Amino acid sequence: MMMNGEATTEADLFLNCTDMSVLERQRAHLNNYNHHHPGFFSNSSTINCGEMDGFLASAGLDLPAIYGDTTVYSDARLSASQGNITTESGNFKKRKFGCVETETKVCNEKKKMMMYREVVVDEEEEEKSKITEQSTKNIMKMKMKNKAKKEQNSCSNDSSKVTKDSQKTDYIHVRARRGQATDSHSIAERARREKISERMKFLQDLVPGCDKITGKAGMLDEIINYVQSLQRQVEFLSMKLATVSPRLDFNIDDLFTKEAVSDPMMNLPNTVMPPHMMVNSGYPHDLVNSGYVDFNPMQQVVTSSDPLPCFNNGQASSMWDSDVQNLYSSLGV
Amino acid sequence: MQPTSLMKEEFLKKWQMGLQIYRPLIDNTSVSERRKAIKLSADVAMASLRRGTTCWSRALIQKTATENNFLVRQMLSGIKAETLINKKLPKVMCHRKIVRRSKKNFMRRKSRSVSEEVAAKARKLIKRKTQGLRNVVPGGEFMNNDVLLIQETLDYIVSLQTQVNVMRSIVDAAEAGIERTACYLEKLKFTIED
Repeated sequence: MMMNGEATTEADLFLNCTDMSVLERQRAHLNNYNHHHPGFFSNSSTINCGEMDGFLASAGLDLPAIYGDTTVYSDARLSASQGNITTESGNFKKRKFGCVETETKVCNEKKKMMMYREVVVDEEEEEKSKITEQSTKNIMKMKMKNKAKKEQNSCSNDSSKVTKDSQKTDYIHVRARRGQATDSHSIAERARREKISERMKFLQDLVPGCDKITGKAGMLDEIINYVQSLQRQVEFLSMKLATVSPRLDFNIDDLFTKEAVSDPMMNLPNTVMPPHMMVNSGYPHDLVNSGYVDFNPMQQVVTSSDPLPCFNNGQASSMWDSDVQNLYSSLGV
Repeated sequence: MQPTSLMKEEFLKKWQMGLQIYRPLIDNTSVSERRKAIKLSADVAMASLRRGTTCWSRALIQKTATENNFLVRQMLSGIKAETLINKKLPKVMCHRKIVRRSKKNFMRRKSRSVSEEVAAKARKLIKRKTQGLRNVVPGGEFMNNDVLLIQETLDYIVSLQTQVNVMRSIVDAAEAGIERTACYLEKLKFTIED
């Protein structure tokens, strides 16, 4: 299975990179498990280092115990994390209680760090396979992969609870600027507003004459007008088409499709193609096509018994000829 | 996001299909009926471009299906017509208690500063305009989410532009054909007189 392959590579990483810094290892983990990632930080949309360390501490694991060698950097983080334990939200308290035992264990076995690391990796693999089966939907980008996993590892008994948490995550990537509120509601609201303004910018590009207007109300007005005018145009055009061709018979359409493929002019908005070009390039092709003639037997009669061609002596070219025939086809006479 | 030629082509194909289905039913009838047929088939063709992925297209298909069920069914034969026609649009959730409570809160809030009053007025205006947009876009009353509404409007506008472009070029072609023949006939007259 895929899980196994990934797990083994992860274990390899773990064993091989003893001399890497903590951050590097985290990054490696991130690359490894980018896909199956249950979200653990559902109620905090901004994630920074301090919070993460808090989670780790609440999960009851020591950084140095897991990583074996301790750099100065990780030491500093550890001390910071212990300070953060008290500020943990109530959501994680249950998990915390569940993990007290493992914490003590970790403290006791600090000296057999290398061996313990391997054990941890094994356990992690098992946990991972269990949990990723349950939480399939959540795809979340997170930097602190590693730590989340450790959390899972430590609280194996309430893994089902964890997955429940992770299933309702909806990860929003917003950062609060200076002086902005950071509670989840206002952040979500800000994200929504940002989304709306982004879409409005697209609309501004799309609706002609909308780019000069500032303000949402004016823009909405313009958009409504534009949509209504388009709808009215459709009405008007269908009316015109109904009067122009007495039967719903557009043999021009065949020509038109051929033109639409070949002619680059069609890519331009609102370009009206010179009709004679369209007719002339497309018509002979259609005339050759026997299916066309069969399709509309009336027309065949008209073109064959057409009295007009005998009149065009000299001055009228073959272009005119085809035009007249086209007229008949468009009129459906 | 301008209408691409690929979109136009596909629309034209669908539309033609619709008209061919319609033709035996409506040959040699009044102008208004023909107009209706053209409009309906064009609408269905436009909506079927999206294959039911957007809210507005589903609403449009359902609306046209009430007018002419046979045509819609025929035109959508390629893409599960039944599911599209019978698919329920999302219901607008509106809890009565919550609405009442919010109204009460709204009434209680009376002492406001001038700036707050202005902001409230602006918000009200935007709300009204959004409601207007909802009425214009088909199926807009089901989009209680602003982001969704704007997204759908974007898509709808692109589709409408496609429709209008194609129709206009066809009308122009047809009219030009008539004009040219009229011109030609006049010329012929002159040559005969000469």
